[in-house]
Amino acid sequence: MTQILEILISGITQGAVYCVVAVGLSLVYGASRILNFAHGSLYSLGGFLAWYLVAGGPGLPLWLAVLLVLPVLALTGIGIERAIIRPLRGSDNWKINTIMVTLGLAFIIENGLQLVFGPGTRTIAPFVEGSLSVGGITITWYKLSIFVISLALVGALEFFLSSTRYGQAVRAVSQDMQGANQVGINVNQIFGLTFALSVVLTGIAGILLAPVFLVSPLGGWAPFLKAFVIVVLGGLGSTKGAFVAAFILAVLEAFVIFYIGPSWAMPAWLLMLIIVLMIRPKGLFGVWEN
Amino acid sequence: MLEVEGINAFYGDFHVLHDASLTVNKGELVAVVGANGHGKSTLLKAICGLTPVRSGAIRFEGGDIAGLKAPQLVGQGLVYVAEDRRLFPDMTVLENLQLGAYLPAARGREKHNLDRVFSLYPRLAERRNQLCRSLSGGEAQMVALGRGLMSDPTLLAIDEPSLGLAPNLTETMLQTVSQLNQDGLTVLIVEQSLALLKGMIDRVYSIEEGVLRETDTDNMQEVL
Repeated sequence: MTQILEILISGITQGAVYCVVAVGLSLVYGASRILNFAHGSLYSLGGFLAWYLVAGGPGLPLWLAVLLVLPVLALTGIGIERAIIRPLRGSDNWKINTIMVTLGLAFIIENGLQLVFGPGTRTIAPFVEGSLSVGGITITWYKLSIFVISLALVGALEFFLSSTRYGQAVRAVSQDMQGANQVGINVNQIFGLTFALSVVLTGIAGILLAPVFLVSPLGGWAPFLKAFVIVVLGGLGSTKGAFVAAFILAVLEAFVIFYIGPSWAMPAWLLMLIIVLMIRPKGLFGVWEN
Repeated sequence: MLEVEGINAFYGDFHVLHDASLTVNKGELVAVVGANGHGKSTLLKAICGLTPVRSGAIRFEGGDIAGLKAPQLVGQGLVYVAEDRRLFPDMTVLENLQLGAYLPAARGREKHNLDRVFSLYPRLAERRNQLCRSLSGGEAQMVALGRGLMSDPTLLAIDEPSLGLAPNLTETMLQTVSQLNQDGLTVLIVEQSLALLKGMIDRVYSIEEGVLRETDTDNMQEVL
């Protein structure tokens, strides 16, 4: 029983971080119908930037490093939207084209990271040590911390979307772009905003998971693939769907890893995805369709 | 208030509007009447910055607005209400209305305008927390018009409000528009049938294959 609880807790804490990566991907898709294939590489970028500031050169404390990396990530997101997405919008087959260019961007970022930092893996020391034991269940303070931080991030995003004017505008753009134009929303500005938020979220996840999963130039593909499955399972464009799906899949993953083996985690995810899509082709919360 | 001079607009390669010219004076209710597919909606969308204009001039309250996009025009008081409503389906009635007052210019009068919309349509006040996807056609049209009013327009461009509505609902809707006009709002409205607008409009233009002509209302009745 304790063991099952421990696996469950491990899954839930992991799920919160997956959720941060996935809602970022979903947010951009929801607003602009763009599937950003560089999402995972941007996760690595966040990890590397923080690693460099903490352990690579300047030796800054982690909190300061994060504070410096955040605006860089946000500007990167705005820059990507402005420089390579916006010029394509509205052209023939633009959705396919944006997949191709973001895939290209992923390769550029990865190779850039290899060029600058070398191909090896890096790690950031956890900001808290030790673990908490309650009733025979043990969890490291670090995992507990990143769980809380992740939930806070997702909660903040939900609050932003539901209760602020810009958040309302993001939802408006995702639900009816012409309608959004009609009420005076600058749609391009909202696209830029969602890209900025999305890159910040995935970059922070890259930093949070650096002590657990390490950082490497190609290390973003696994989180990207996971985020992708989560987003499709939850319903493309639905942040609520991504939230629920992240926890379902992370708990599933924790049990599969413990009872069958780590290499079966992804097959289990995909099996789950196939089953859900057979019953609900739009995913768990995919309601809208244009 | 609004002067359109010789505008041309295209849908892809298809030439939709041919040298269209039109004037709306302050306080007027002006109609553009024509059959489907003759460019009525394109005309309104071109004026309101939702469809590009290839040539010609548009002036609104003295300023040149050709080439400006909808978000800029809404801020100047030129507001478009779409024939297909264009509501945000997974947001509540209240959220849709609030988004009408998205821009700073309208935000200051959000409370006042919301009271006005709710007194105009008490039913929307009752359903303020209902998602727009669950509204009936008539209610959706109320939200569409209400959202337009929330933008605090000086000129409201209304695209075929009768589309998809039962005759009695259409009548109520048009009476509301007429009432708003009598209260001082300048309105440019597009409809298929002049009969619906009888007695409420100041001037009328007919549109046929993208060519716009001012007609007097009596003549027009014979034509249609």
